[in-house]
Amino acid sequence: MRPRKHDDANEERRLSLEREQTSSLHGFWPMLARRDVLAGLLFIGVAVFGLWLSRDYPIGTALRMGTGYVPRLLCWILFGLGAVVLVQGLREAQDARALSALRPLVFVTASLVIFGLSIERLGLVISILLLIGVGAVAARGLRPFETLLAALVLILLSWGIFILGLGLTIPVWPEW
Amino acid sequence: MVTCIDGHQMARQGRAGAALAVAAIASFFAGCIATGLIAGFAPPLAKIGQSFGAPEYFSLMVLGLGLAVVLARGSVIKAIAMIVLGLLLGLVGTDGNTGGTRFTLGITELTDGIDIATLAIGIFGVGEIITNLTQPQETRALAAKKITRLWPTRDDFRRAFPAVLRGTALGSILGVLPGGGATLSAFAAYALEKRWSRYPAQFGHGAVEGVAGPESANNAGAQTSFIPMLTLGIPGNAVMALMIGALTIHGIQPGPQIMGERPLMFWGMIASMWIGNLMLVIINLPLIGIWVQLLKVPYRFLYLAILLFCGIGVYTVGNSATAVLLAAFFGVLGYVFTRLECEPAPMILGFVLGPLMEENLRRAMRISSGDPAIFVERPISLGLLIASLALCLLVALPAIRSKREEAFQE
Repeated sequence: MRPRKHDDANEERRLSLEREQTSSLHGFWPMLARRDVLAGLLFIGVAVFGLWLSRDYPIGTALRMGTGYVPRLLCWILFGLGAVVLVQGLREAQDARALSALRPLVFVTASLVIFGLSIERLGLVISILLLIGVGAVAARGLRPFETLLAALVLILLSWGIFILGLGLTIPVWPEW
Repeated sequence: MVTCIDGHQMARQGRAGAALAVAAIASFFAGCIATGLIAGFAPPLAKIGQSFGAPEYFSLMVLGLGLAVVLARGSVIKAIAMIVLGLLLGLVGTDGNTGGTRFTLGITELTDGIDIATLAIGIFGVGEIITNLTQPQETRALAAKKITRLWPTRDDFRRAFPAVLRGTALGSILGVLPGGGATLSAFAAYALEKRWSRYPAQFGHGAVEGVAGPESANNAGAQTSFIPMLTLGIPGNAVMALMIGALTIHGIQPGPQIMGERPLMFWGMIASMWIGNLMLVIINLPLIGIWVQLLKVPYRFLYLAILLFCGIGVYTVGNSATAVLLAAFFGVLGYVFTRLECEPAPMILGFVLGPLMEENLRRAMRISSGDPAIFVERPISLGLLIASLALCLLVALPAIRSKREEAFQE
């Protein structure tokens, strides 16, 4: 971001603020936690992974492109772009703490994974109970009674909408 | 979405009913105009589309991706990287030309490719829930106070009407552009209204124009984005990609020939759009009271319901439990992208266009026997490529850059 024109006092204050912030942004770990550094590493990581996966795909020629032609080309482009983002992130001091508050991340993801694993074997009702039970941990301040109430309402609602209303073929109860 | 900035403030002032009513009427008006535009402009455009060959299609899609870069917030390079990531994700599955499988990691379900519903619900739905939950409680507390009156006042109407006209015009134009569509139109309309208004200070504090303009632009953009899909067979945005998917399931290949081959279907679709708009108003206006009540449901209940519907929705697309696990994975990815300020919208567009671009690139190369110069030798293709290049240069210019940042900050 390019600073716009400020009067001198403002500029002074901004600079001193920036100095204060940057002092806590150096060193290896804070540097690694910067937004653009992480983003660059993510892009490079995906590109390398893609290149490794496509190592055996036939490339072919421009005239007769093989399975691997376009994927490998894109991976190399992504690698280059990721490197640029990474270098930008290393040069520009930014707010660290790009990733924080893992609780919602872990429990929302876990609830969906459990739902996916259980829906076919345990049926809709038990899967919803599991999803709500695990998912409710993600947010603070949900009382057990409220959670149970929410689960009951949602079970009735989804049964009404998806099974009765739309006639979808989802198993409702566990298959014995 | 943008409508919510001022709509939410109106709700806090107890004018949630008025906000919803204005939004519903603005949508209907814009929908009528946009439907007319489709009926008028689609046939001649389809004629042009028929003269397009593989190189032209490829360059047109490059232009679409270029626009997605311009419209993305934040770093340009990150937006381009997100597009490339999307293109790569689009390649997952079986290669239509050689039959080889790519990037499937040995997962059987992935041989058909990643379903766009799985990707979109994961990135936008689940990712959004996680992002919301990590934010402190106060910021999303919906304070729906006492609702004083459900209907907008005469003054509301007087101020909303010109905003609706401007929003409709802007949305209709932006909707046609590839990469455009509803969301972008709404953002642009909000910026326009704020600049145009005599009371810019009211924006963000419950200005009725801030609801009417974006809402009509949103609806107009959503409908005119059908034009490139129906006439060229190219999805301008993720929603149109879903439409193409739905049409293909029914054995209909969208493209320039659709109007000649299936005129009934084409005009039926346009008629259904208008009826849809009408239904929206008829259903919404009496139900405003109920929707307002819905606002009172605290987010800690709402997110559970959204999470569950995401799960059921993804599962039922292909009765596939693997899809649910994939959506969870994309949810994490969506959250990470938000935190790293990488916008996912260009990625979705890349994902949609990826297979189409590869196919047309291959065809173009076969036409030219492997010579990439074909893209600059054909005049239409050259023009489209120059336009895309000009767009990218434009974004790099500092003056435009600061203006773009400004526009998105609002």
